[in-house]
Amino acid sequence: MAVLKKEVMLDLAENTVSQALKKGASEAEAYVYEGQATNIGIELGQISKANRIIDRGLGIRVVAEKAMGFAYTNVINDPTAVEDVISRALSAARASKPDPDWKGLPGNETYASPEKTFDERVAELESGELVKVAATMLEAAGQVDKRVFPIEGGIGSAYISNAVANSSGISGFDKGTVIECSIATVAKEGISVTPVCFEFNASRSYEVDPVWVGKEAAKLALSALETKSVETKSTTLILTQFALQDLLAYTLINAVRADSVQRNQSAFKGKIGEKVASDKLTVCDDGLFAGGLRTWAFDGEGVPHQKTAVIEKGILRSFLYDSYSAKKEGKQSTGNAGRAGYLSTPSIDTTNFHILPGDKTANEMLSETDDGLMVYYLQGAHSSNPVSGEFSVVATPAWKIKKGEITHCSRGVMLAGNIFEVLKNISLVGSNERQMGQLISPWIQVENVRVIGK
Amino acid sequence: MKDLLTKINRIATQKFGAQYAEARAQKMVKTMLTLKEERVEAAKQGIESGVALRVLVNGTWGFASVGSLDQTILEGAVSDACKMAKMASSHLKKPIKLSDTKVVTDRVRSKPKKNPADISMEDKIKTAMTVNKTGLGYDKRIKSFTIDYLDLMGTSYFANSDGSSIEQDKLYVWARIAGSALNEGIFTFSREELGSTAGYEVFDEVSPEDLGEKVAKRAIEQLGAKSLKGGTFPVVLGPNVVGVFVHEAFGHLAEADLALSGGVLADNLGKKIGSDLVTFYDDGTIVGSFGAFKYDDEGVQTQKTLLIKDGVVAGLMHNRETAQKFNAQPTGNARAEDFRVEPIIRMRCTYMEPRDHSFEELVENVKQGFYFKSFRGGQANLDGTFQVGIQEGYEIVNGEIGAPVRDASISGNTLETLNKVNGVGKDFLLDPGRCGKGQTAFICDGGPHISIKEIMVGGSA
Repeated sequence: MAVLKKEVMLDLAENTVSQALKKGASEAEAYVYEGQATNIGIELGQISKANRIIDRGLGIRVVAEKAMGFAYTNVINDPTAVEDVISRALSAARASKPDPDWKGLPGNETYASPEKTFDERVAELESGELVKVAATMLEAAGQVDKRVFPIEGGIGSAYISNAVANSSGISGFDKGTVIECSIATVAKEGISVTPVCFEFNASRSYEVDPVWVGKEAAKLALSALETKSVETKSTTLILTQFALQDLLAYTLINAVRADSVQRNQSAFKGKIGEKVASDKLTVCDDGLFAGGLRTWAFDGEGVPHQKTAVIEKGILRSFLYDSYSAKKEGKQSTGNAGRAGYLSTPSIDTTNFHILPGDKTANEMLSETDDGLMVYYLQGAHSSNPVSGEFSVVATPAWKIKKGEITHCSRGVMLAGNIFEVLKNISLVGSNERQMGQLISPWIQVENVRVIGK
Repeated sequence: MKDLLTKINRIATQKFGAQYAEARAQKMVKTMLTLKEERVEAAKQGIESGVALRVLVNGTWGFASVGSLDQTILEGAVSDACKMAKMASSHLKKPIKLSDTKVVTDRVRSKPKKNPADISMEDKIKTAMTVNKTGLGYDKRIKSFTIDYLDLMGTSYFANSDGSSIEQDKLYVWARIAGSALNEGIFTFSREELGSTAGYEVFDEVSPEDLGEKVAKRAIEQLGAKSLKGGTFPVVLGPNVVGVFVHEAFGHLAEADLALSGGVLADNLGKKIGSDLVTFYDDGTIVGSFGAFKYDDEGVQTQKTLLIKDGVVAGLMHNRETAQKFNAQPTGNARAEDFRVEPIIRMRCTYMEPRDHSFEELVENVKQGFYFKSFRGGQANLDGTFQVGIQEGYEIVNGEIGAPVRDASISGNTLETLNKVNGVGKDFLLDPGRCGKGQTAFICDGGPHISIKEIMVGGSA
């Protein structure tokens, strides 16, 4: 696979910065991105497609008279196009309004080397090998039961690299790999169709278990075929990582972003040092977590990733900052400037949002639930109120727990509550940690959540 | 461009024996703004161009995307796509085939009254700033106001091995406005979207002042709203919620790829599943609407597609692959977000046909229930479970609209719920939106006010 070399990307970033300064910018930052992905896709129970996507680009931020302009292009091998994009960024800045709070781009930094984020085997994977893995996963899913139908999924490997340079001395390059295999299944019997049941493995190195993924997805769908209703009441929930990832992304994570706090959009404003959750809950944002799906040497502004304690035994410790929000408070950035490749300006985001594991195994959590629901997937989490933390969602599906045992599946169960109450009502934290997108978390047991049954 | 794309398609068919090949080149310019309160976070411009190549080899799809229009790079990419498809076909059970479609040669120009390219960045900032200033000035309790603005202009060049060749302009103007309020520890949040394929004249139809005020007013009203007690209730839904209901509860299930994936509609074609009052369309022909275009990304002309008529399932939304499987005609629903991704079945403008009730008649039949006026998010599932979040709702007590309720959602099963529609209004409204299905599509949905005999309502009280 032909990829852009470190020197080529850094040169492009640094040259772009110096050209922008020559053209009149008072400050400049260039972000160069390359992504190469190969995917083998499964549709309607068979391997049906093979995709290869190469995406490269350059995003430039310039400051002129304290006003910010940004421009990007995906044509980076043509000096005229690069010059054009610098001019566009500058004219955007000149059309914009000065920001009195602007205190400059972040300065010179040194980086730690992140662990287990690049695997030569993933970068060099041939599509033939990916086809084999996809076939293995499909076969594993198909062998579980005839009533299970794998509807979509696949396996994809990607190489990603980025370089960032700015006029305050930042200059960084990092590269990484990701591999992910996933499968979504439904089970069908007569006119009964289950909700979509999904499993996956994602890793920075070539460590995926397609047999496990296929079997688990199929088993989940199968167990959702027969359903009974549940009653409307407040009850105990075991939230798996799927449910937590969805729910937290649209609620808690907004509340710990420093810009939300500064703009009076966070219920956590003024609560640093106060108890905001059960003392069983400890959360840190860890941009250097070994092998983390969001582990990189630096963030979207070239600020080093770090580990930031957010909630410690229920006490709120810190918010997540990019350099703009940090400088506003005279603080240091926590390395949380996220970036959607070269297409956007940085904005605050989590790295690996890590809920620290407790000591209860999955079985112990189940057996310590006298009456409750096990919630895997949520429907509608993005409709939560991002400011108040209120949610009203559907569990698709949920499994009823009675006296420590799963008794039956139930579909269309609604859950409603407020994330800040949920955090206070956490009663158990599992030891079964797992990575899912930005979240690294075990299962969590929470009490007294409103459930609306049919 | 046509010659280049045709040459690349020929490599696929002649050198690699592809049964079908298509090339879609795009050149796009984007202007984006984010204003937070009275601060312009950044004024942004983007330029992108690239080509999506899709081939069918041995009944398996191969796809390659590159950010380049260079012939040598495209030749390499199409070879890659063909080789990978061949490799992937080794486990194929049912080869993919495509339905026949008309061969088209056309050039489609957009004709905006106000071309976004002719409006200066300064003017766009001024408009956005007016929205935020109006919102912030509406009430002291409004604490934050954000507007994201986007205009996207460009040209898509399409050529396939059947001989079609289409050059089509793209034009989208979009804005999202969000405001939050805080009073005595109560937080509220309100949002609106604006979208058009006509031009910048969309801001003449709704003034920036009205937009700011609408968002702010809702955030303030919600401060006094109470959480509701969940359960099963009769409801009246406003056009904004009906649109999302149609989109989530029925639209996704009527996407033929999802119907084939086990969705509940595949076995119900031609069957009556809903009340006589239920008629839905997915329509790509409404000029200027956010889901409108002339040709889809397989070169098929868009149309007004009847999905359900008087409660009877009438049709599905197809691409060329699913149309072949159902022995139907492609409906022009194959859309790709950009050249980085392949076309998949997406909705356009999905709506319910109005009937003859007045709003008052719908409300007066409800003894104890809710009026849900405006949505925030929604999601569908293949088993027919839908969810729609509500950002603005009111109690209905004895046929009268009462106190506001906050942060609720509605859910149910499509097949059960469509039978419970017992009143359909004579009014009609469409709202622009965005739909996520791995890729983002700009869409539109709406309808009249309707009443539903009973539906599950989620609330935490």
